[in-house]
Amino acid sequence: MRVPAFRVFGLLPLLLLLAAWQIAVVAGVYPTVLLPAPAAVIAAFAQNWPDILANAGASVTRVIVGVGIAFCVAVPAGMLIGRYRALDRVTDWSIQIFRSVPPIALIPLAILFFGIGDRPAIILIFLAALWPLLINTIFGVRGIDRTMLKVARAARAGEWLIFVDIILPAAMPSVFTGLRLAIGGGWLTVVTAEMIAVKSGLGYMILTAQLTFQSQLIIAGIIVIGAIGLLADQGTRLLRARVCRWQEGLIAQAE
Amino acid sequence: MSSFLECIGVGKIYEGKSGAVEALRGIDLQCDTGEFVCLLGLSGCGKSTLLQLIAGLEPATSGTIAINGKALDGPSAETSIVFQDHGLFPWMNVARNVEFNMKARGVTGKERRARAAEFLAMTGLSAFHDRYPHELSGGMRQRVGIARALTTRPRGLLMDEPFGALDARTRGNLQEELLRIWETQRTTIVFVTHSIDEAVFLADRIAVFSARPGRISTIVNVDLPRPRDPNAPRFTELARMLRAELAPNLHGAPL
Repeated sequence: MRVPAFRVFGLLPLLLLLAAWQIAVVAGVYPTVLLPAPAAVIAAFAQNWPDILANAGASVTRVIVGVGIAFCVAVPAGMLIGRYRALDRVTDWSIQIFRSVPPIALIPLAILFFGIGDRPAIILIFLAALWPLLINTIFGVRGIDRTMLKVARAARAGEWLIFVDIILPAAMPSVFTGLRLAIGGGWLTVVTAEMIAVKSGLGYMILTAQLTFQSQLIIAGIIVIGAIGLLADQGTRLLRARVCRWQEGLIAQAE
Repeated sequence: MSSFLECIGVGKIYEGKSGAVEALRGIDLQCDTGEFVCLLGLSGCGKSTLLQLIAGLEPATSGTIAINGKALDGPSAETSIVFQDHGLFPWMNVARNVEFNMKARGVTGKERRARAAEFLAMTGLSAFHDRYPHELSGGMRQRVGIARALTTRPRGLLMDEPFGALDARTRGNLQEELLRIWETQRTTIVFVTHSIDEAVFLADRIAVFSARPGRISTIVNVDLPRPRDPNAPRFTELARMLRAELAPNLHGAPL
């Protein structure tokens, strides 16, 4: 899958914002301590890049671990709940309740239990990623064409073969939708969690920059957060296009 | 001749929210080994329901169904089913789709590939073994469905309006191919259709259904030599007779 050229126009609002920013700095709307010039932010990148890189690495690692664990739990669980009505009846309400609690609301509890460090942050990311993955996996399993399941049953296929050869691939597009939401949610959560519960990462870097009045570093941090978010999302899309290549033709047909 | 399939007093009642619906009542039907039997009727007459019961996908509410003298308890190892909407797996290429029923039976990989090649050749699909279902025409997809059903060398082939969604010419070609396969494989075929011409062209015997509740109103022997000519006087005469047999159902019963 190639990214069409017109996609680049998606950056247009950002360029307008950049222009407005430069104009505001030149016009002196805010003192430069609050609103540094774009050039000052670039300078902050040049000056602090090892620090920025290390913090970005810490944040990305936490998200990968948290979302990874959530993936390993949610996909098998979602497949079972989606396949067996009885399991669905027992879990449905609980899932709806748990997923309504924003993980950020659990930060105080996470710190009480696990102190300051990687553990509370990863647990919060795990919780942020778990529900969208679980719900989308269940949804994907439910959407399976009934005829395919009949074919499998008439062929006297065992449950394991049905799960591996039919339910998992059929649910894959929906699992990827869940994964995109999970990575997005995990990324939001890691920055917040790092402002409170950890002493490294982009969230921590932004907060300390605020305490030392380095707004150029705050803005640099925000830009990195946005850029990584975009990269992660595009990466997931590419991966989905690879894994679910069989789906392309179906979508083209439906249109 | 020994009887391959025997239905005695088969009835099926669906318990729905708006009360019970009697789909089938008092079905008596027996098919000899190697016989081609069509179940003919208008939509909603229960002919497809009976096929589902024979395939072991649903239990009968009353009566017994026996295959090769053995009472049915779930899908039989001696039958295979082909559905109108083919039920191919879009994430598997043609070869893997054809291998699925053998995989379900635990046939080894080497034997699977050899037999898949054999039946792909028989259905004229050898050149398409690595294509995906969405790359194939409707007629070719149904060939894949038939090839998949044949790979387990079933003694009975159950077909649920397999050519119902195809254009007239493709349909005619597949009917002729099916007869060729039937003659070489010596399988018993139970074939559901709502097309009178199709039934007369294919069947040794035609079980005519009437609706609400579904029952067999008459069984007609097709005493025509093969290959059959749809323009022969006896062919049109049989077709006319069957049309009259189906006609009472047209009055009063909503379609």
